[in-house]
Parts: sequence; structure tokens; C-alpha cells
Amino acid sequence: MDNLGFLFAANAVVWGGIIYYVYTIRQRNRALEKDLELLKETLNRKG
Amino acid sequence: MNPDAVEENQEEGNILVWLTGLAFLAAMIAIFIYVPTERTEGVIQRIMYFHVPSAWLSFFAFFVVFICSILFLWKKEREWDIYAQASAEIGVIFCSLVLVTGPIWARPIWGAWWVWDARLTSTLILWIIYVAYLMLRTQCDAGSMRARYAAVLGIVGFLNIPFIHFSVLWWRTFHPQPKVITNEGIGKGMDPTMLATLGVSLCAFTLLYFLLMGVRVRQENLKDEIDRLKKEKLYSS
Repeated sequence: MDNLGFLFAANAVVWGGIIYYVYTIRQRNRALEKDLELLKETLNRKG
Repeated sequence: MNPDAVEENQEEGNILVWLTGLAFLAAMIAIFIYVPTERTEGVIQRIMYFHVPSAWLSFFAFFVVFICSILFLWKKEREWDIYAQASAEIGVIFCSLVLVTGPIWARPIWGAWWVWDARLTSTLILWIIYVAYLMLRTQCDAGSMRARYAAVLGIVGFLNIPFIHFSVLWWRTFHPQPKVITNEGIGKGMDPTMLATLGVSLCAFTLLYFLLMGVRVRQENLKDEIDRLKKEKLYSS
């Protein structure tokens, strides 16, 4: 039985899902870094 | 947190990244090169090495949610709520992968993408429960009530997992019976090379779970710290 297409589709789905999740974590990290920078700036301005 | 502890954490994180990477490389080699093709199903059976570890990871993640939710309700410490939240998120991601890879495997073997049998339906219900858990966390205002509601849902949701496991034994289902843990013993129902490949894949997915958990927990702690500083600044001005 030749079902290579299905096998690669499943493989792609798993890797795609993992990569997408890592990407969303990275985006959240960036948002937090931005937040932290903003907070630092505000605190510095306040002295 | 002192700078030495941060550096130590980063070092541990780097080791885990390398270990996970190597484990996945070994798993890919085993899945696509080492393991022989199964006689009845052919190459499509190799989906099992993604499908089963994804299911294992999601069940393990929901088990962590269950334990951390109990600990949160008992000790009322935010730390347990963070662990539960991070684990639920990872569990939902991998449960989604189970629900997608399953039909891709089923289509050429059963001739249908989906059948409403006990195993498939109960897994879908599990996924819906934990999606609701994550939605509850985003919809309610932050605070101990949100964490408490989420903890209750996290505990109730886990009760579905034993049902999922035994569903293929209690009812006649399309889904195959367990092959790893059988009445004859662990791994007796499988070829040793297949069992070894599945073992490597399970290790890789488990390492990935701990890696993702570490990152998400650190992120949530940082978010809490930023929120605390913002509030302090707000009240002081």
C-alpha cells in the first residue's frame, strides 16, 4: 500500500504545529520585552 | 532572582534544547530509516510514531494540570496556577495534533476521516474541555476566582482520560486496541524495533514538553513581575 502522501501530511502537521506554537511563544516574549523596556523607561524618567 | 541563578537556568535550558534536538533527530532517523515497514498497513503505519507520542504528551500535560490544580486549590499559591496554565496550553496543542494526525492515518486504513466511536469522541470531548479551560482563563478577569474556576475545570477535565484509555477495551471501536501496555506485559504486542522507535519518539516528545514548560513558566513569572511593578508604579504616582 503506497500512502506516502498521507505520511508526509501527518509529519508536516506535527512539525507545523510545533513550529507555530514556538513562534507564538516567541511573539509573547517580544511583547513582554517591549513591556519591560517601557517600564524601565518610565521608572528612569521618574528618577 | 539573583544573576547566578538566572545564568544557571539559562545553562540548563540550553542543555535541554540540545537534548531535545538530538532526541528528535534520533527519532526521525528511527522513523524514516531504521524501523521496518509494517506488513498490513504499509508506510502509513509510521504515523503511529507521531500520533502516539502526541497523545502521550497531551495526557501527561493534562495530568500535570490535574495535580497542579489540586495543589492550587489546597495551597492557594499562584505558582501552581502558572504550572497548570502552561501545561494545559501544551496539552491542547498536542491533543490538536492527535485529532489531526488520527484522521490522516484513518482515511486510507478505515476509508473514512472520522468515525464517532468511543475513543475518538471522548478524545474530542477532552480537547473541547481544555480549550474551554484556556478560554475561561482569557475571558475572566485576572485574580484568584479565575484561577479557582480554572482549577476546578482542570480537575474535572482530567477525569475523562481513564475513560479514553479504557474505551477501546469496554466497547467495540474502530480504533485499535493498546499495543504497548497489554495483558501479556509491556511491549509484548509489538516488534522490538518498532517498540524501540516508539520509545525514542516518546522520549523526544517528553523532553519537548519539559522544554516548552520551562519557557512558558518563566514567561508567566515575568509577566506577573511586570504587572506587579506596573501596579506599584501606578499607586506610587
